Amino acid sequence: MNETGWDIVGHEWAVGLLQRAVARDELFHAYLFTGPPGVGKSTLALTLARVLFCAGESRPCGNCQPCRLVASGNHPDLHFLSPESRSGQMTIGQIRDLQRQLALTPNMGRRRVAILEGFERANPSAANALLKTLEEPPPYAVLILLSPDSDVLLPTVVSRCQVISLRPLPASLIRRALEERHGVDPERARLLAHLSGGRMGWAVRAVQDSTLLQRRQRRLEELSALLQAPLVERFRYAAQMARDTELAGEVLDVWASWWRDVMLLAGGAKGPLTNPDRGEELEKLAARLGPRAASALVDATQAAGECLRRNVNPRLALEVLLAFDLPRIS
Amino acid sequence: MVQALYRRWRPQTFEQMVGQEHVVRTLRNALASGRTHHAYLFAGPRGTGKTTTARLLAKAVNCLAEEPGDRPCNACAICRAVNEGQLIDLIEIDGASNTGVDDVRELRERVGYRPNEARYKVYVIDEVHMLSTNAFNALLKTLEEPPPHVIFVLATTEPQKILPTILSRCQRFDFRRIALNDIVARLEYLAEQEGIDVQSEALTLIARQATGSLRDAESLLDQLAAYTDGGITVEVVRAALGTGDEEAVAALADSLADRDMARGLTIINEAVDQGADPRQFARQVAEHLRALLLTRLGSDATLLHVVNSQREVFQAQAARFSPHQLARLVRLFTQAAVEGKAAWQPQLPLELAFVEAALPDAEPPPSPAGTGPSLPAPAQRRPAPGQHPARQARAAAARTPSPPQRAQPGEPAVHAGRPEEAELPPASAPLLLEEIQARWADLLSAVRPFNLSLEALLRSGQPVGVEGDTLLIGFMHDFHKSKVQDASSRRIVEQALGKLLGQSLSVRCVMIRPGQQQEPAPPRQSPPAAAPSAAEDPLVQAAVQKLGAQPIDPSR
Repeated sequence: MNETGWDIVGHEWAVGLLQRAVARDELFHAYLFTGPPGVGKSTLALTLARVLFCAGESRPCGNCQPCRLVASGNHPDLHFLSPESRSGQMTIGQIRDLQRQLALTPNMGRRRVAILEGFERANPSAANALLKTLEEPPPYAVLILLSPDSDVLLPTVVSRCQVISLRPLPASLIRRALEERHGVDPERARLLAHLSGGRMGWAVRAVQDSTLLQRRQRRLEELSALLQAPLVERFRYAAQMARDTELAGEVLDVWASWWRDVMLLAGGAKGPLTNPDRGEELEKLAARLGPRAASALVDATQAAGECLRRNVNPRLALEVLLAFDLPRIS
Repeated sequence: MVQALYRRWRPQTFEQMVGQEHVVRTLRNALASGRTHHAYLFAGPRGTGKTTTARLLAKAVNCLAEEPGDRPCNACAICRAVNEGQLIDLIEIDGASNTGVDDVRELRERVGYRPNEARYKVYVIDEVHMLSTNAFNALLKTLEEPPPHVIFVLATTEPQKILPTILSRCQRFDFRRIALNDIVARLEYLAEQEGIDVQSEALTLIARQATGSLRDAESLLDQLAAYTDGGITVEVVRAALGTGDEEAVAALADSLADRDMARGLTIINEAVDQGADPRQFARQVAEHLRALLLTRLGSDATLLHVVNSQREVFQAQAARFSPHQLARLVRLFTQAAVEGKAAWQPQLPLELAFVEAALPDAEPPPSPAGTGPSLPAPAQRRPAPGQHPARQARAAAARTPSPPQRAQPGEPAVHAGRPEEAELPPASAPLLLEEIQARWADLLSAVRPFNLSLEALLRSGQPVGVEGDTLLIGFMHDFHKSKVQDASSRRIVEQALGKLLGQSLSVRCVMIRPGQQQEPAPPRQSPPAAAPSAAEDPLVQAAVQKLGAQPIDPSR
């Protein structure tokens, strides 16, 4: 356990603020947690909900009935909303349901807590429908919106919330947490901490799912191979990759982290790399490409990822990246 | 639970309103003379006082105080009921949740009933821009001639989404962003009332962050007050906002001047490690560079924000850049501050912008030559400026002799009339066409804000000729042609053209055959003269080498 007692790694600022608010009973009615995926937004939100519901002595105790109900996802006063899986959006219907439920007084305790995950995917009518509730909800309600970024939300939504932005954690903190809490050996912890890019959630997932790391290694090896491959190979790879857009997005993220390292090395930066385990190869590429080409590759890789998210024909986007942007290095 | 600061301190009288004097004065005069309108539209950015004013208005028209000038008195039963949110005759409707025509019908049925206790029933429809078109139309008659005991107040942040027929039935008040000084003064007052200990510099920082929205500023103050037991200092505000150290920003600008990439990247890394938000940091850098640019151009205004002791350093720094360079840098960092939404690595856009900014600008764009596959015309995502020197020179030449009215926009409009244009020598038509071709991309981006799909359609077309004052746009497909030919689309294009060229042109769409291009295709491999051996054809060779083609001898 860390010193906060909330069992949250890092984010002292945010945790301190919320703890103080709870202790003084000065909780705000609407919070917006922002930060990159896996940084700990929903963990923090759920912890806050547990603290608010807990009936034990040292909140959250984890043993009382409300705590157990939250843990099993069955607490009647906790409303957890995420975008509909079918459309990938949060819809006005969901918001209206939530408003109806929030209008009722709490079943068990003194509060209702609504956690709206992925609020950046709420469509405009849904986001607008929430405005009035967000400004003046019933006195017992606390709303917590989660989004990677406040700039993608309606300004009218953001201005009604207390924004708590969770920033990526320093690698050292993640490394320590992995060693102490998850019993990861130091060498592996160091690597995972760097790969995580400051996202504790990602690091924990990588610990639980060992194939995650292997897959990542494989992607980088494939990239190395592609750099030397002729066009035919590249087109073949793009076609295969385009079959699973979600996976392709992951691959592109891995590649972008790789090119960023190359760019940083080419620029002569001393800062920590994302892929320290492949320093030699990175150095060679950096010396060969120089900062301009490296930054162009980061750009191109990200642009391809953006294309995939915007529903461009995936094969076409990947082919452009692989055939035109990726240099050939023999 | 304690109410948020912005709810607890919602102004209860007109005197407490911050900013918006123009609205308050007009409303109070109307109230004093008993000439209130039956429908108001309050438009303006978030957190500027729209809902607050609507509630004040509801109180004032119903207040029981004898003297109209005293209303709202906040002492009578009605005022107290409004303050507690319990007046039955003040009906606040969430326009974003009740968007349908049925909601409006229900409203219309109820409008007819007399108020319960107050003089007027006041309907406040917040977020009114979200009503559907049908709902708006259903509201029209009621809004034009409501029963005498009803007042409508529509509030919205996006007045441009509201039908003109609605707009014309309302008295419109535009709420402005609140000035920095007003926000600071208000925050000082609140801090005093709430017993919050806060440095005045910290307040300025908060107010600046709020960009004219009082609610944002009050929320932030609230949040910070909840965080610290001690006073709110500049450091606390910085930690909360993720603002970087001013010195780090200045140091980054120095490293840009030195083109010292290693140092700059280290500065960024350190700033982020110390808790600066990369986006916020990019914004700060952009602001700093903008100040440098203004200083470089001889403006003294920005110096006012710089501490006395730093002025010389600041001016020295400004002198190290050319204005051209600074403009480019501002653009790069501004872009970094807005793009990269939900990037997996939040500081990446900032780093990219920095690397690009620190690169020498004279070098040609990276060519994959030697390293990359050398297909003809490699796809350039972002054509660098100056990529088509020939074309630009032509465009420049075309611009010089073009009609004078564009050079002097201040000239009376009579000059810009068509007759004069008709007298232009016929030679101007091809020149004009060339100019349009050269600025086709500008036209596309001018159309974009109006209609995204129209821009996409125009991409598949090309300017093919100018007849008199009609521009011909060629399309290969009938579908595209008819879409652009459509009256509303055409009007958008014509307007954009007019803005771009400073002269009015009408637009006509024509069909062209594929291959019929105005500009000759860039000379690729010229077709082999006498069809030598197919294997020697460079295209075939490329296919074999790069795409793994298998040559087949047709004679076998």
